[in-house]
Amino acid sequence: MSGVIGRRRLLAGVAGAFAAVPLVSCSGGTGSSPGRLRVAFPAGGATESLDPHTGSLFVDQARAKALFDTLVGYADDMSVVPRLAESWQPDPTGTRWRIRLRPAQFHDGRPVTAEDVLYTYRRIADESTAAQAGSHFADVDFGASKAISATELELVLGAPNFEFPAAWGAPATEIVPAGTTDFTAPVGSGPFRYVSFEPGKPAVFARFDGHWSGPATLAELEFVPMEEESARVNALLSGQVDYAHDVSANSVRLLEQGGRARVFSAPFGTMQALLLKVDRPPFSDPRLVRAVRAGLDRRALLDIALSGQGRVGNDLFGAGLRFYPADLPEPARDPELARSLLREAGADGLTWELQTSTVDPYFESAAGLISQQLGEVGMRVTPRVGPSETYFSDIKKNGVASLSRTAALPVPTFLGQRMTSDAGSNNYTGYHSAEFDALHAEALSTADDARRADLLATAQRLSREQSGMVVWGFSGWNVATSDQVSGVRGAPPNSLDWARFDRVSVG
Amino acid sequence: MIALAPQLRGAAPGARVLAGLLSRVGVAVAQIVIVAIGVFALTALLPGDTAEVVLGEHADDGQVAALREQLGLDEPLNTRFLDWAGGILHGDLGTSLRTGRPVAEEIAGNAATTMLLTALTLLIVLPLALWLGVRSGLRAGSRFDRSVNFVVVLLNSVPEFALALLLVGVFSVQAGWLPATAAGLSGWSLTAEPAVLVLPVAVLVAKQLCALARQVRTGVVTANAAEFAAHVRRAGLGEREVVLRHVLPNTIGPVLQQLARTVDGLLGGVVVVEALFALQGLGAGFVEAVRARDLPTVQGYALLFAAITIGVNLIIDLAARRFRAGGR
Repeated sequence: MSGVIGRRRLLAGVAGAFAAVPLVSCSGGTGSSPGRLRVAFPAGGATESLDPHTGSLFVDQARAKALFDTLVGYADDMSVVPRLAESWQPDPTGTRWRIRLRPAQFHDGRPVTAEDVLYTYRRIADESTAAQAGSHFADVDFGASKAISATELELVLGAPNFEFPAAWGAPATEIVPAGTTDFTAPVGSGPFRYVSFEPGKPAVFARFDGHWSGPATLAELEFVPMEEESARVNALLSGQVDYAHDVSANSVRLLEQGGRARVFSAPFGTMQALLLKVDRPPFSDPRLVRAVRAGLDRRALLDIALSGQGRVGNDLFGAGLRFYPADLPEPARDPELARSLLREAGADGLTWELQTSTVDPYFESAAGLISQQLGEVGMRVTPRVGPSETYFSDIKKNGVASLSRTAALPVPTFLGQRMTSDAGSNNYTGYHSAEFDALHAEALSTADDARRADLLATAQRLSREQSGMVVWGFSGWNVATSDQVSGVRGAPPNSLDWARFDRVSVG
Repeated sequence: MIALAPQLRGAAPGARVLAGLLSRVGVAVAQIVIVAIGVFALTALLPGDTAEVVLGEHADDGQVAALREQLGLDEPLNTRFLDWAGGILHGDLGTSLRTGRPVAEEIAGNAATTMLLTALTLLIVLPLALWLGVRSGLRAGSRFDRSVNFVVVLLNSVPEFALALLLVGVFSVQAGWLPATAAGLSGWSLTAEPAVLVLPVAVLVAKQLCALARQVRTGVVTANAAEFAAHVRRAGLGEREVVLRHVLPNTIGPVLQQLARTVDGLLGGVVVVEALFALQGLGAGFVEAVRARDLPTVQGYALLFAAITIGVNLIIDLAARRFRAGGR
């Protein structure tokens, strides 16, 4: 693994060397015809499919967004905005949701109906589908849920949830025509329709003129798989593609210098955290968690590990998102406090392993810096690099401390799926608090928005004190386009405008 | 190469040679079996399995357990190995855990790209190395010799990925003469746009040229200085004759050995080159299968790579042996 890190480093170095040379002539490349946008994404090779409910990669989500529609989308702050759903209304208990669909049609001309929505959500909730968003719909009583008319349906929940609409905009919840089981040439209601696709190879989609929001600007959209970041950057610079997804901070300077490419950054799209397991020693001693918090120099982490792009974290998920308690003070480093907490816990010279991986470009330098900073307050921290492909399942099960990152999600979703007692292994820090669970459940069953926000803020303050989630920063999220492209903006991953190509034009 | 033929024709295949051949083939088969078991064990030791990789970061324990059962991953490892090995004996490489497609199909889909890269590289490396090696060997110490040496050693000392990035930076990004990546083309569709192959093949050639050219040069220098060369020269043979019929054939043995290593090196280099130029070949497929913990597919690739490496070494060993048996 360290070989990979070394190589990445060197790649960045070589790329940086080119940045010093003015980029002169412009290449035609194999380029794009007018009206066709070529977008480069890291891809999943032979595993890929166009089933919108089972993909877990960003490219799966981007293709699903082109071919299909969701009932709602997420604004940049992860609040919901209407898409296929025109309006919705809960009953006073928050267990019955009535949804009205806007007039829309699938690519084969059939209208999008309530039955399609019910079929889709049933399929997602069905365990045998192994759908990514399954847990969002686990609480739906499909026996009681029903279509009221062609364009109106009622979903019934087992427990009150006034944040339920967030589920309809979660990744991998795209609406498919009722009865669909085969996704080799899928029919959706999205702004582009299927033309060609083979796993691991480019996918070509064409404009769907019958889209409810009006036809897309582009005539065609082509997804080109490119695993290596340097390949994406070079392909963009040489004019082979028009859009490169997931560009590292190192490449940003290179891209901006030539004037032929533009970089769009979602300011703090991704939480960067150090996760300490509080359900096992040594961090079952809360003093040691506090010692780690006090020992970190978050400003230095931001400046060095994130190259200054992003913002300092406050041990809470969701900076800039709806329901994030923004009034808490930024934590300052207090080495004296850290040392005295260690002494008090009788843990001077405490030794632990920090799990890390190349899964995120910022982990490596963060891990080094964290062990150095904590070394200064009397802990011996050894970074241990694990394989990237199973990293997240490894850190759920093993070890006491790990680095993690999470893209933007609605705050109540994050709290429900990562911090509550019934989150299972997705509760990475092993945090169990009846008080937190009760606050979260009460918030979901509260109809009043302001009161719900209060309850969620209280719950978050509690988990901030008690859980082992040490959020040290928020990293930016970069995509790049050629200067021929317009209509792209920096939007956080999972939001409606992220990887959205129906309003983009080229040439 | 033509000069080789008379030498080979000289040796009659006796019983001793046949026995030697059989035992050499036996060793090769044993090697493949050991590689198969080793790779299976090593891959199984990697943390995580297909179920976890396929379901990704957000899956809960129940989903993972369900998929694991569905894929048969809850069976003990030895049962799975025996199932798999039984299939191999019937010529069945098994089914991919990720895609449900036959492993042989998965591999075949990626083979064309790599074959094309490898074939083109060998087509350029062989004559080029021969020409450079002979020419600098005959003029050992000359300016030509020293410049060739300087250039090939330089190329060899730059890692593949660095060389690739340098070439892309100069010829694609700055000059705009050649495409920076293969951008989604693969297999035979690559031949429709040959320009995309120039840089990947250049990188592979640059890396493999050095050892081969230097091996040829060393052989030529030695043979050229040997008594038999002086003898045939004294006998009045033309210089061209001397080189083609006497000097070159005597360098072939070691050069063939080096050629085997070149093929091994190409298989390694192709993984890096495919990644950097976004080519979907065997290297990319193998890396992908390991990432997905797709044991049957990983095994299929491992067997193929082992078979290629061992097979090429076997053929070249035998050829070199025959050459020694009948030569001089």
